[in-house]
Amino acid sequence: GACRVSMSLAEIRAGFTAIKADIQSRDPIRTLSILSHPHSLHKVKSSDRCCIAHQLFTFYVDKVFKHCRTEDSFVNRKISSIANSFLSTRRKLGQCREQNNCTCGEESTEKFKQILANYEGLNVTSAAMKSLGELDILLDWMEKSR
Amino acid sequence: SGELYCSLPNPRNVHFESINMKNVLHWSAPEGTGDGVLYKVKYAVYGVGKWIRKPECGNINRTWCDLSSETSDYEEQYYASVKAFLNGACSDWMETTRFNPLTDTKIAPPMVSVSSTDRSISIILTTPEKWKRSPEEESVSLLQVYPGLRYNVSVLNKKTKKRWLFSISNNTLVVPWLEPGTAYCVSAQIRVTTPRLDSGFSK
Repeated sequence: GACRVSMSLAEIRAGFTAIKADIQSRDPIRTLSILSHPHSLHKVKSSDRCCIAHQLFTFYVDKVFKHCRTEDSFVNRKISSIANSFLSTRRKLGQCREQNNCTCGEESTEKFKQILANYEGLNVTSAAMKSLGELDILLDWMEKSR
Repeated sequence: SGELYCSLPNPRNVHFESINMKNVLHWSAPEGTGDGVLYKVKYAVYGVGKWIRKPECGNINRTWCDLSSETSDYEEQYYASVKAFLNGACSDWMETTRFNPLTDTKIAPPMVSVSSTDRSISIILTTPEKWKRSPEEESVSLLQVYPGLRYNVSVLNKKTKKRWLFSISNNTLVVPWLEPGTAYCVSAQIRVTTPRLDSGFSK
């Protein structure tokens, strides 16, 4: 059904693995994470996962990718192919959310607000590059909770 | 005490080597320093604001440090760093890249046990366990860590050199219709599709 997005995740994972070292080396801030602190995605209740996943993919599509330009054309190509995979996956997650009437519980809504606060706490380029460098945190969570 | 004057060349190639999530920090000695160099090690959980010293790896002369215990939560990611000291001088702290135990570990091959009748072979595969602090600690199979884990099994007829390859998700396989009195070589590999991790083939 629409909630099965494993093919897209594998594509995104492959694209990210190719540029992970490059992207993470552009993020000098060790002491702050957008996705994993203070709240871990792994603590999201299973009933909220569909809704939070859709919100997170929307966050990346609307806020992150557009600010992730580099001087390296290979990296840029990988970023745009990841962004395209995100667009199609977000559409599927949106359908999944509608079909299953997924709602975000209060706790998960709070987690997502914290993620946005972490993001707004940095200048936009640093925040976007850090978020991109944390894609494996998002993918690990989504694959584990399949 | 105040920081020493750091003119010593830096440790090189600071990186994690990980097998079944036994995560060991390795590095090379600073260029041209010879014997007598001592090292200190610290690590940090990515996203958490402090570096933590590893006491057991303070003032050591070896060039590795086992951080498996400190990096055992594979839902977190980590950095580690090494500093060198020699004759009152020191180097800068030299860091690893971001280490994700879940995707950056290597998986050992499965254990293969084989029994046979005159015309078939029964194969049972055992997935390695995740590293654990002590034998008393509860074992975690890598099957629990990687739900999508599968196996490739190779069966080679040593006389004809004909090889069969099977891709299975459960850990048992029966290979029928074999030639009596013939030697077969069985070998198996673990495959995780996402994140993409393949073990070598078992001996």
